[in-house]
Amino acid sequence: MEKATVVVIGGGATGLGILRDLSMRGVKALLVEKNDLVNGASSRYHGLLHSGGRYAVKDQEAAKECIIENQIMRKIGKSCVEPCGGMFTRLDIDDEAYEEAWVKGCADSGIEATPITLDEAFKLEPRLSRKHVKSAYLVPDAAVDGFRMSWQLIDSSKRYGGQVKTYTEVIGFDTVNGELRGVKVRNQFTGEEYEIGCDIAVNAAGGWAAFVGKLAGVEIGVQPDKGTLIAFNQRIVNHVVNRLHKSSDGDIFVPHGSITILGTSSMSVPSPEDTSTSREEVESLIKIGEQTFEDLRDFRILRTFAGSRPLYIPPGGAIGRSASRGFAIVDHEQDGLKGLFTIVGGKFTTFRLMAEKMCNQICTKLNNTTPCRTAEEPLVEEVPQADKDRAKKFFPSYGVNLAATRLGVERFKKVVERLESEPESRELVCECENVTRAEVEEICKEDTSFIVNDVRRRTRIGMGTCQGNFCALRAAAVFADTGVESTAKDSLTRMKEFLQGRWKGIRPVLLGRTLRETEMTRAIYELSMAINNAQGGMNNAKNNS
Amino acid sequence: MKVFDVIVIGGGLSGFMSAAVAANRGQRVALLTYGSGSLPLASGAIDFLNAEAPDAAIKNLPAHHPYKKIGLKNIDAAAKFFCDVTAQADLPYNGNLSAQIPIVTAVGTLKYSCLVPESMDASKLADKKKIFVAGIKGLKDFYAAMIIDNLKKYFPDKIFEAATLDLNLLGGRDITCMDAAQLLTGNEQIFADGLKKLNATEDDVIIIPPILGLEGNSSRAAVKSQLRAEIFETTCLPPSPPGIRLQRAFIKYLQKSGVKIFENSKVVRGVVEGKKITGVVVENAVREKIFPARKIILATGGFYSGGITMRDFDNPIEPIFNLPVFFTTGAENWSNENLFGDKPQGFSMTGIFTDANLNPIDEDGKILFENLHVVGANLGGCDKIFERSAGGIAIASAYKGATL
Repeated sequence: MEKATVVVIGGGATGLGILRDLSMRGVKALLVEKNDLVNGASSRYHGLLHSGGRYAVKDQEAAKECIIENQIMRKIGKSCVEPCGGMFTRLDIDDEAYEEAWVKGCADSGIEATPITLDEAFKLEPRLSRKHVKSAYLVPDAAVDGFRMSWQLIDSSKRYGGQVKTYTEVIGFDTVNGELRGVKVRNQFTGEEYEIGCDIAVNAAGGWAAFVGKLAGVEIGVQPDKGTLIAFNQRIVNHVVNRLHKSSDGDIFVPHGSITILGTSSMSVPSPEDTSTSREEVESLIKIGEQTFEDLRDFRILRTFAGSRPLYIPPGGAIGRSASRGFAIVDHEQDGLKGLFTIVGGKFTTFRLMAEKMCNQICTKLNNTTPCRTAEEPLVEEVPQADKDRAKKFFPSYGVNLAATRLGVERFKKVVERLESEPESRELVCECENVTRAEVEEICKEDTSFIVNDVRRRTRIGMGTCQGNFCALRAAAVFADTGVESTAKDSLTRMKEFLQGRWKGIRPVLLGRTLRETEMTRAIYELSMAINNAQGGMNNAKNNS
Repeated sequence: MKVFDVIVIGGGLSGFMSAAVAANRGQRVALLTYGSGSLPLASGAIDFLNAEAPDAAIKNLPAHHPYKKIGLKNIDAAAKFFCDVTAQADLPYNGNLSAQIPIVTAVGTLKYSCLVPESMDASKLADKKKIFVAGIKGLKDFYAAMIIDNLKKYFPDKIFEAATLDLNLLGGRDITCMDAAQLLTGNEQIFADGLKKLNATEDDVIIIPPILGLEGNSSRAAVKSQLRAEIFETTCLPPSPPGIRLQRAFIKYLQKSGVKIFENSKVVRGVVEGKKITGVVVENAVREKIFPARKIILATGGFYSGGITMRDFDNPIEPIFNLPVFFTTGAENWSNENLFGDKPQGFSMTGIFTDANLNPIDEDGKILFENLHVVGANLGGCDKIFERSAGGIAIASAYKGATL
C-alpha cells in the first residue's frame, strides 16, 4: 500500500501551501486532488493580492493579516506578483463617512493609504470617470497569478519530497477504533480504486470540504458562494482599482498582463461545481463597473468565469464574528475521528498563513519541532539571466519572462536547449500567448497533464485573444504525441473538450467581436476539420439527411 | 462616374460569384471589397447540405430557408457555373449535388462535400491498400501521427505509414501551409523528389498538407506526373491554400470579364430614393465617394465578415443599409450549451430575410428596396455551419441575385 505521513486533500492554494510547509519541515506528505490543480477558487478569482484595504473597516484582523502576507508574497513569490499598486476611489454616490472610517481603519491596520489629488488620479488612471470619482488613495495592492504561484508551490514541495496526484478523488476514509489509517481514492480516468495509508489527513477541499467531511461522517459548515468575473481583452487599468465603499459586487478591477479582470458577484449556490455564468450576471457587473469607468462597454470581453468562495459557517451559528477572520481549523478528534483535520475559508492572499497554522497543529501531533520557514524561503530559484538571454533569440522579451516563471529553472533550461537544437520546436503552438512547441511538449510530459486543459493552465495556450481557435488542433496533436497514453491518444475528444471549456466562458458574452471569433472557430472545426464526423464514415451525413 | 449595371458589395465567395455571373451576362459590374474576404478561411470545398443527397434533401427544407427561395434550378445552375469558372482557371472541381465526396481533414476525420477540388478528392482512398501520410519537417499544423490515429478508425484494415519529408524549407520559425505553398511554387521538384523516396505504388495513396501552390493545378500536375501513387491534399488551419486558390481563380475570371474591382472600399451607406438605391457611398481615408448603380448586390457576410454586427445584446445591425435583422431572442436561445452539438446555434441563424427575389423584407413581408438583393452569409433563417450549407448558399444565392 502506498503510504504517507500526511495526506492533503485538495489541490487549491491552501492544500498546496500545506503540502509545501509540511515537506519543508520534513514530513512525508502527499496531496490528492479530484480534478486538475487549482481548479476551484484558487484560480477562479480576480487575482488580487490584497493590501488589506478592502477589510480595513469590516475586519481589521483580516486586514492586518493581508498586509503582512502581501509583503511576504512579494518576497517569496516575486515572479508571480505584478506590483502594480492599488487605488481606492470614492464615487459621488458613495458614503463620505465610510471614507473617513476607512482612512482610520487603514492606519490602525498598518496599511499605507496615500491620498492623491483627482488630477493625479486621472493621470495614473486616465479612464476613471471624471464625472463620478470624488476622491482617491493609493494602497499597496498587487496582482498575483494564482496559476503560476500554484505550480511554483508544487515545484517547491517536490524539492522537499512532496508528492501530488491529480484526478484522484477521495471516496472514503479507513478508520480503526476512531483512528485514521488511510484515505481511499479513485483515479478519475481509469476508475481504479486504492488506499493511501496515512497517520493524518487534512481536508483542504475548499468549497468541497463538506463533501469530504461527509465521507468521514463529520459535518462541516461550508457555504459555496459563487463569484462571477469578467476578463476584458485589454489593460483597462494600470492599478488594481477598488471602489471606496462598503465591499460589494463588481467593484474591483485587476490588471493582469494584457488583460483586466472585473469582479465579482456573490451568490450562495448549492454546489461548488456550479461555475456557470449568465448574461444577467455579466450585465449587472458591467452596470456597476461603468460607474467607475464610463467607457467600459467599448472594451472587448474575452470571457467570463466563476468560482465558489468556501465560506465557513461555524457549528450552530450563521456567519458570525468567529467566521470573520476568514478561516477555521477543525480537529475532528472532537468528533471522534483522530487524525483528520479540516481547514476551511480564507482567501488566496493569506493561504500561506493558513497553511502555517494548520501545519503547526499537525506537527505538534507528530512531535515534529522543525519551525515553519515558508515565509522566508522563496518558492523557486530565479531563472538565471544567461538562460533568459539565450531564450531571447526565440521569444520577444515579454514572453521570455513569462515562460521563465511558468517553467522554472530546470524546465526552462531544457526548453531553451530544445529551441536551440531543434528549429521545428520553435513553432508557436499559441500565437496569442507566445507559447512554443518545445514548452508545450515539456508540459505534456508532466505527471499532472491528463487533458489539454491541464496543459492550458500551465502554459496559457488558448487563454488569449483567439481563445483556442488555432492552438486547439496543435495542442491536441502535440499532446497525442507526447502526453500520457491513457488519455492523450483520443485527440478529437481532447480537442473538443478544450474548445468546449473555452466556450463555457464565451457564451454569456457572445456579442461583438466575440461572435466573429466564434463563427471562425465553428468554421474551422465543424467545416474544415469535420470534428463532429469522427469515426462514423458517412453515418453523420446519413443521420442528418 | 458612369452608372454601373450592378454593384456587388463584398469580396467573399458570394460576392465573387455574383460579380462573375453578372459579368457573364454582359453587365457592367463593380465589385467593392474591404478586407481579405472569407475565402482564406475556407476549406476550398463547397458544402451544400449535410445530407447524403443534398438535392433531394433541399426539397424538404422549410419555406423560410434560403435554399427554398433560391430554388433547385438555380442551385444546380450555380454549381455548374462555379465549376466552369474554376475550370477556366485550371482549378478543376469534382462532384455534383446528388452525392458527397470525402476529403481527409487535417485532424484525420473525413469531411463530405458536393464540390471538391480535384486535389482533395479522396474518393479513391477506400480502394487503396496502403496510406502514407506525409508531412514536411518544420511545417506546422500538419500532424501525421494524429491524422493516422483518427483515420484508422474509418479504415481499420489499411496499412498506414507516417513520413516527414526534410525539404530544408525552414526559414523563420513558423512555416504554415500557406508559406509552404508559396515556397514550393516553382520549386515543385524538391517536393516531388521527397515524395518519390516513399516508393509508393499504384496501390497506395499519399496524403499531404494542402501546399500544392496557390494558383490553379499546375503545382499539383508537376508533382503528380512523377508519382505512381495518387496524392490527396487535406484541409488545414487558415490561411488555407485551397481557399486562396479559389479566391484567385475568381479574381482571374472577374478581371478577364471586365469587372472593376475596387479594393479597400468600405461601403458606409446607400443613396436611397424611395424604394430604390441609386448608388452606394464608399469611405476611404480622405473622402467619401459615390458609386452609382442600377442594381446592388449585398454580399457582406454574417457576423464573421462584419456584414452583421452586434454591439449590444438583442440588437444585431446590418451596418450599410440598416436593413432589419432577424434573430433569436433570449439568452437561452441565443446559443447552445455545447459548442459542437446536435442542433443549430441560435445566434448563427441571425440574418436578413428576403422574398423569393432575394429583396430584403421587413417583419410584415414588405419589400424594402426593389433593386437590392441580399446573398450569401447575411441571409438569415438557418445555421449554415451546422447544416453545412454555407458554400452552397453563397454560390446559389449569388447566382440567383445576379440573374434576376
